[in-house]
Amino acid sequence: MTITIILAAAIMLILALLMGYVLGWANVKFHVFVDPRITAISKALPGANCGGCGYVGCNEYAEAIVNDGADVNLCAPGGDGTAEAIAEIMGVEIGSSIPSRPVVHCSAISSQRLKQNEYLGEQTCTAANLVAGVQGCVYGCLGFGDCIDACDYHAIKIIDGLAQIDYQNCVGCGACVKACPRNIISMVPFKSNKILAVKCASKDFGKEVSDVCEVGCIGCKACAKNSERFTMDGNVPVIDYENYDPENDSMDIVLEKCPREMLIWVGRDVS
Amino acid sequence: MDYVGSLILLAINAALINNFVLHYFVGICPFVGVSRRVDVALGMGLAVTFVITIAAFLSWTLTWFVLQPNAPLTSWIVHTINPNSEMVVDLSILNYIVYIFVIASSVQFVEMFVRKFHPPLYKSLGVYLPLITTNCAILFACLEIMKHVSGVGAGAWTLDKALILGFFGGIGFLIAIVLMAGIREELDLCDVPAPLKGAGITMIIAGILAMAFMGFTGVDSGLAGILMRGGG
Repeated sequence: MTITIILAAAIMLILALLMGYVLGWANVKFHVFVDPRITAISKALPGANCGGCGYVGCNEYAEAIVNDGADVNLCAPGGDGTAEAIAEIMGVEIGSSIPSRPVVHCSAISSQRLKQNEYLGEQTCTAANLVAGVQGCVYGCLGFGDCIDACDYHAIKIIDGLAQIDYQNCVGCGACVKACPRNIISMVPFKSNKILAVKCASKDFGKEVSDVCEVGCIGCKACAKNSERFTMDGNVPVIDYENYDPENDSMDIVLEKCPREMLIWVGRDVS
Repeated sequence: MDYVGSLILLAINAALINNFVLHYFVGICPFVGVSRRVDVALGMGLAVTFVITIAAFLSWTLTWFVLQPNAPLTSWIVHTINPNSEMVVDLSILNYIVYIFVIASSVQFVEMFVRKFHPPLYKSLGVYLPLITTNCAILFACLEIMKHVSGVGAGAWTLDKALILGFFGGIGFLIAIVLMAGIREELDLCDVPAPLKGAGITMIIAGILAMAFMGFTGVDSGLAGILMRGGG
């Protein structure tokens, strides 16, 4: 009996040693070389896996930087700090990165929207957008907050039925742009902390706009006549952000001429 | 020729007639879990075949030389210590733990191998690769081999039979999982009734597939007749 127990123990021990040796050998032999830079970049990235850079996740982006030479400044949540850290790891210079931030092209709070009807359906913008007559304006914000659900950074609030972006928290991932069924949120390059934005998306003529909204753009073209930065698209002005330089372009005259106060400074307060 | 005939019979038996998945119903979890796409299913099937063959080799070797009652190694040790001893050392109690141990080690080995040489396969197999460790089809093969080796006496299986059972058992698993993946790929295009979507229809397909394989039952006796007669 004793010899059986001793033999059993000895055989298990020998087997364990043998298997351990084989696996240890295989571990060295089949070692997969992972570029240390990929590991370092993965650590430098915020790890939010938001997809804002255009890759599936932070690890994919790190691999793309090292293997395919992707730009180091694509990470919106990480911002300049992350870009600098990655640039240091890769030993490259950062191109100047202008952050993109969303702008809501609507400024009417719910009391300023006319011809509203009671809507009792599912309380999401996507559902309400399918129903005619929830409110007079078919372009403006519905205020059910699909964009809030899309935002991972608590950077959107609905105030008085209008989506407002908190630029202190916003990282520019663009999730809200995709979430809005009326496509009134667009990404805009913020060349300084505060820039001008057109806060209306209505393409209707002035009469129809003033029928359904107290504040909407009536398409008077005053801005386009006074500044070459503005062009009319349908009946709504569009700012040429490519050439727009918020530091040097003086927009005082345009702001003065706009009868509906449709041009609004957006962005964060400089702290 | 009789001997070769019995080997062929054993191979067909393991792969088709007594298919591990569809006749004994072992190894169901990867069968359902990894059968979404044919190429991944093929990779899984090949990985299982590889592991099962290695495990069959190791388990036969260990059972034959070490674990069975009066095995060569143990009886040699006993006789070296005390030449007059009539004692029979039986280490069969170690069977299960040794098999699990061997399977786990070979799965680890395969994982490292696949990670090194087939990174896309490694990615697509995901968590199911380490899960081969707990794949009951492999333990089943080991136990089947044990049944025919440990304490059988004269009719005990030789190594080639154990290897054929392991390898063709794995091939049987491969056939079953690839068939399943093919059907499920086509099924994505079908209008499955809402209550049956997902797991429900998968179970029904698996059942029908198992019934189809039941059609092989009884083929072995006829086949044995042909093979043995042909061998003369």
